[in-house]
Amino acid sequence: MTVPKGHVTPAVEIKNVVKRFGAITAVDNMNLAIKEGEIFSLLGPSGCGKTTLLRMVAGFENIDNGEILIKGKVVNHIPPYKRECNLVFQQMALFPHITVFENIAFGLRERRRPQSEIKKKVTEMLEVVNLPGIENRFPHQLSGGQKQRVALARSIVLDPKVLLLDEPLAALDRKLRKEMQGELRRVQQKVGITFLYVTHDQKVALSLSDRIGIMYEGRLNQIGTPTEIYETPRTSFVASFMGSCNIFPGKAFSLNDNHIEVRDEHGLRIRAQKCKDMKVEDVHGISIHPEMIEIIPEGHNLPSENSSTNTISGQISDVFYQGDFTELKVLIKSTGQSVTVHLNRRSDNPVSIVKDQNVSIHWNSCHSNLLVG
Amino acid sequence: MSPRIWFLRIVSILAYIFLWAPVIVIIVFSFSANKFGIRWEGFTLQWYYELLDNQTVWDACIRSLVIALVTVVVSTALGTLTAYGLYKLKFRGKQLLRTSILLPIVMPEVVTASALLVFFIKVTPLTLGYPTIIIAHIVFSTPLAVFVILGRMQRIDWAWEEAAMDLGATRIRAFRRVIGPVLLPGIAGAAALIFPWSFDDFVITYFVAGIGNTTLPIYIFSQLRHGSSPVVNVIGTLFVLFTSVSLLLFMLAEKKSRTTMGT
Repeated sequence: MTVPKGHVTPAVEIKNVVKRFGAITAVDNMNLAIKEGEIFSLLGPSGCGKTTLLRMVAGFENIDNGEILIKGKVVNHIPPYKRECNLVFQQMALFPHITVFENIAFGLRERRRPQSEIKKKVTEMLEVVNLPGIENRFPHQLSGGQKQRVALARSIVLDPKVLLLDEPLAALDRKLRKEMQGELRRVQQKVGITFLYVTHDQKVALSLSDRIGIMYEGRLNQIGTPTEIYETPRTSFVASFMGSCNIFPGKAFSLNDNHIEVRDEHGLRIRAQKCKDMKVEDVHGISIHPEMIEIIPEGHNLPSENSSTNTISGQISDVFYQGDFTELKVLIKSTGQSVTVHLNRRSDNPVSIVKDQNVSIHWNSCHSNLLVG
Repeated sequence: MSPRIWFLRIVSILAYIFLWAPVIVIIVFSFSANKFGIRWEGFTLQWYYELLDNQTVWDACIRSLVIALVTVVVSTALGTLTAYGLYKLKFRGKQLLRTSILLPIVMPEVVTASALLVFFIKVTPLTLGYPTIIIAHIVFSTPLAVFVILGRMQRIDWAWEEAAMDLGATRIRAFRRVIGPVLLPGIAGAAALIFPWSFDDFVITYFVAGIGNTTLPIYIFSQLRHGSSPVVNVIGTLFVLFTSVSLLLFMLAEKKSRTTMGT
């Protein structure tokens, strides 16, 4: 086999993979390459096919079409017990009738490793997940976080080519989830195993991953770093899924060398900066994050109007206090659209915000995000 | 306390007396000196000694035990496999099969008995005796095992099986190391139900036993036909004792597994 210079075999490769359940296409011709040693998150709403894809990689679902490769080797017809990947289950699935030690040793015993090696490796693993000294307990004697660590140790001890994680934090409460996130990252950096992480939780994906793939209706919408995915979503689905609820579909026109203007169906005009790798005619709309919008109460000086700013007048129709920020709904009177604005508690935004107040919303065109789909 | 509660208490007590009275009578009369075992005439252990000396009773008892043990082993094994297939495999007519497993349980025993008798005599070359009794017992016990074990299967987390396979176990290894042990309380429960069922069975055994293969229930029945004997009371008492102890043990085992499995 000839490998081009500088080419590194991906840990996992998904090639044109299709999976149908009856009339429903769960995974629709997907392509994806996961790099060695990264934490890759498949993020999407429930029913988008992410778990199905994970189960296909693990070997629990047949593949209708396409190929899945682990470290360059096609695994389509390899049964789960022979695949060099391990799955951490959402409900952990620790074996209830055996001790923590035996749970972690399970895979090693299947591989008929000598007792001395098993003992050494299991003890080592318990150190890695910060749980020394609990080997003789049974799963029902563990807390949620401890179960999670044991489940992780049970898979990692086998040194898989890739570790598959199926929403392993979903069952934990918020505080513990945050703690375990850090723990997962720490363990991953220590052992250096590639993680393929499936979740519907944007926050977990953003803070944990090296790269994120957004999945919707069996297809990948966008792949990128957490920053790219959050700040420059390319489709209206990704934009809304990542919390940017202000989406204005429309046609784009060039204003000058650096700026374009998008006119949406209601006649609203929004300015944005040109993007060098995107043709004007490919732009199908604009999204703007609620936290990037400034509120200017009536009577205050408006910033000067030019091609790099957006200033639209409206009226506050709703105020939702959230603690660390306040969510406002601003009604644009001329078009009847509603814009969501987040005011940070510590920001220098105007002191009094009340319902029915007339305001202007303002943002710089560099914060307008271009959508292509 | 309100009169309504008193009423409820009295009714409950009466219901229990109704349930327990015959059993208590048998226990009491097993110690009675009356030689027909039907009246209290002073305490004696005579009938217990007589039972120890009665070779026919022992033969019948051992025959019943052997039959019950073979039945328990074979029907729980068959029942576990059948339940696994009915639970895990996907095929057409599965629901029908699953429901029809109850048929032998609800069918009148005489029907099953006569059907088996005709089957053994007309269709198979078997002569009536040990093999036919055991086959008959397996026939009526296996559905019960399937039923109980299916119930257990519905309450376990099947991610355990996938986890085992993911960690390198084949389906069979996963069954041996995880699913089997986890199902054990269900399998033990099935065994605990089947054993007395097979040990006690009269109707079906009577039909297919042939000549000379007297099981304990058949022996008791024949004894009663020739007039009541206090030895029968003794057997009854031992039965009650034996069943109660095994029920108690089963309940303890079940309670322990509930705490560890969290089911």
